[in-house]
Amino acid sequence: MNDRIEQYLAGRMSESEARAFEDHCVAHPEFAKQVELEQRLKDGITQIARGSTEEFVRSESASRWQIAAAGAGILFSLLTVFILWNGGQPRAPQAIMAAVTSEERSGKSLRLAMVRGEDGKPALQQGRVRVEIAGLFDTSYHYTVSLDRIDHVKNIETVATVHGIRPASPVTLEVMVDSDQLTTGSYSLRVSKQTSVDEPLDFEFLRP
Amino acid sequence: MDFVPGGELSRRIRQGDVSAESELIRQFEPGLRVLLRRRTGGDFGLLQDLVQETLIVVIQRLRGAGIDDPQKLAAFAAQTARNLAIASLRKAERQKTDVDSDATERNADPARGLHDLTSDVEAALAVRALLRELPQPRDRLMLKRFYLEDHDKQLICQELSLSEAAFNQALSRARKRFRQILEERGFAKRDLLDADT
Repeated sequence: MNDRIEQYLAGRMSESEARAFEDHCVAHPEFAKQVELEQRLKDGITQIARGSTEEFVRSESASRWQIAAAGAGILFSLLTVFILWNGGQPRAPQAIMAAVTSEERSGKSLRLAMVRGEDGKPALQQGRVRVEIAGLFDTSYHYTVSLDRIDHVKNIETVATVHGIRPASPVTLEVMVDSDQLTTGSYSLRVSKQTSVDEPLDFEFLRP
Repeated sequence: MDFVPGGELSRRIRQGDVSAESELIRQFEPGLRVLLRRRTGGDFGLLQDLVQETLIVVIQRLRGAGIDDPQKLAAFAAQTARNLAIASLRKAERQKTDVDSDATERNADPARGLHDLTSDVEAALAVRALLRELPQPRDRLMLKRFYLEDHDKQLICQELSLSEAAFNQALSRARKRFRQILEERGFAKRDLLDADT
């Protein structure tokens, strides 16, 4: 392994050296991929060791059922997360939400973005509103957008789903939402990349 | 991947070239993940959020005012990521000071579960499989010393009676197998695994 990667991972670089190394990574994606593979190996080892370091020192005859059980536990957790994220069968799509047509671009719009430190939620205007979602999107994919209503105890009810949305640009995805069909309360637009297991993105707003 | 100079990317993005924005994302995302992984303490969700925020900030800046020295676009993106990571850390610190300690105590278990959900579980699963496959107990111990305890290579070789060549060979095998396991399990969602070792 490149000595510089080793020093960076072990935290043996000075702050200025680490910054220069990181700048180099950002400018050189292939090199960065090597570094990330090493980081993931290190992170994985750290996570395994967080429970116990037994697996690093066991002999060949160590009980494999323990490892299998632990692996099954993690897989079960992953499955649970997957089910929770996909939970609640979406209702039949209604005209509450739809793809944006070229005629609708000049109307009312609301911009949603995940901004850290922002405590307030944006408010959706009345009528049909073009909702512009700021995020990082792959223009070669289709996306599914679900509109979820979130009640005061954080129960989520999916009120509309639209499939096959193409991003307007690598940083924008748009949908039309008919605000008049929504009751007052908190809502979230959940955006997921189709044919991908990437995590969905959630963008919350209020219907005053 | 062909490298497109920062100056050219900046100019094309300013002119509204959407393909240049995609190019910028492809080019900078791996390095930003490296930088931010180090600053997000194993919180995989936060890492992904910050990578995304950084790229959005950079693209919006290039679409608008631009940057002083477009040749230093990568350094600008890196510094933006550092600033966002610091802001995120400060926000988390502020929230910590507002915590009701009794309530935290009462809800200790759910918090632990949340932490588990935000870590890089894929990497942990791959490491577990790797450890199970390694033929020599010595190899497992070597990984622990090197990656977990950050011991110096020479020290590990001394402790485990290994030549440096044997150490490098064992490490290279482990790294290669780790990458294969990630690929076999379909974890190669990004082009991370195209990297040469």
